[in-house]
Amino acid sequence: MPNLIPVYDPRGVVEAAPRVISPRVKKLDGLRVGLLDNTKWNANKLLRGVRDRLAAAHALGGTNYYRKESFAAAAVPALLDRIAAENDIVLTAIGD
Amino acid sequence: MGKTDIIDAPSPALGTQVPEGTDLIEWYYEHGCSDGLPVVPPVPGKIAEAIAALGGEPGRLVARVPPRWGGLTREVLAINMVMAGCRPEYAPVVEAAMLALCEAPFNLNGVQATTHMASPLLVVNGPVRGAIGMNAGCNVFGSGNRANATIGRALRLILLNVGGGWPGLLDKSTLGHPGKYTYCIAENEEASPFAPYHVERGYRAEDSTVFVLAAEPPHSVTNHFANDARGVLDSVCSAMSTICNNNAVSAGHCAVVLGPEHAATIAKSGWKRHDIRHYLWAHSGNRWGDLYGNGRYGKVYNRNLPVWYKREPDARTPIVPSPDNIHLFVAGGEAGRFSAFIPGWGHMSSPVLRGIAGAQPKVGPECVDGTCAV
Repeated sequence: MPNLIPVYDPRGVVEAAPRVISPRVKKLDGLRVGLLDNTKWNANKLLRGVRDRLAAAHALGGTNYYRKESFAAAAVPALLDRIAAENDIVLTAIGD
Repeated sequence: MGKTDIIDAPSPALGTQVPEGTDLIEWYYEHGCSDGLPVVPPVPGKIAEAIAALGGEPGRLVARVPPRWGGLTREVLAINMVMAGCRPEYAPVVEAAMLALCEAPFNLNGVQATTHMASPLLVVNGPVRGAIGMNAGCNVFGSGNRANATIGRALRLILLNVGGGWPGLLDKSTLGHPGKYTYCIAENEEASPFAPYHVERGYRAEDSTVFVLAAEPPHSVTNHFANDARGVLDSVCSAMSTICNNNAVSAGHCAVVLGPEHAATIAKSGWKRHDIRHYLWAHSGNRWGDLYGNGRYGKVYNRNLPVWYKREPDARTPIVPSPDNIHLFVAGGEAGRFSAFIPGWGHMSSPVLRGIAGAQPKVGPECVDGTCAV
């Protein structure tokens, strides 16, 4: 049995509680769809195109469009709360 | 330095042990804890020395490093320093640099994750440069100096290991750049005819500071013919005025590093830091129409640029919004008529200047090179 030596972990501990992903929806009919534009160059075109295709294929309960202040920063909590309150599902995209 | 007499013994991670004789270089490769180069195995004695240089208290949290938000304790910092090849006396510089990187305006979360190639550039000022043997001279951005190389590497290892900026996972950079291995220099204050950078920004000459900028690689500026400030700086302006560096389309901050020969020529004209930064700002930039294909792709607004930029085909578009957004350094060898322009990432990240060992900028009138701002 060889002697054992310690090795040291350079990664540090992540103190964050894991969060469960919301249940996936089975169909879009009647659902309110939020679109979050991250303000990248082509996010607007991409998301509006997706929105139009979804609206043509499903009887959506409505669509709402939102924009982050900066593509390089997280959306502010107030905007996230508003999106959560006004929609059933949300789409976002980079559109670089 | 904050050295203490008590050396805290580091604690092995999660009780992991391996048989004596295990090739630890290969072990760290296998566990994904390298930047691609072999790491120095972090053995207890070396870790303890680095912790002591940080002031002891191995469990003390220095910062949480995004986007993984791993906890950077003094012990974890020390482990990464040893792996990078740092000597213990580099600890105050590495710690101050990590604190600077984790200040909110720097937006390290974005810098780590962006598709752009930006990597943090670290510039060190003050007496600590000499105390730890940093290179501010010949080949300053290149290889050959342990302090420059391993301090920059320690930052990268922390960004990888603690911050989780692994290429392809949380680091989405399309190309990256060589400074993602190490990107650390010192200002050549001794060869500079101007006040040091940190003095211009309100610190005392005897203070030591770190400056971090999310930066593209240096772009060489060659000028062997000019014998006055304008001639040299017109070449720097030319390097700044490309339509495809990130400042051109996203504003923000940039750095200019003057080689000592160029700096001497500029100083001979009687120009100071203030004059240089304002000249560079006033005489660089692009024609708005050139930035966006002269209308070939329709009208472009570009909300990444300040609202007060004129969006007309022949309007001049500044490289950065203000002369204060040009961060000026003198560095490099004393022979050679070269300088460098270093574009930043853009408005998405602001550079941070931070004192080492608690140094704070002085209050009151700012006096640089004999001129005091009221």
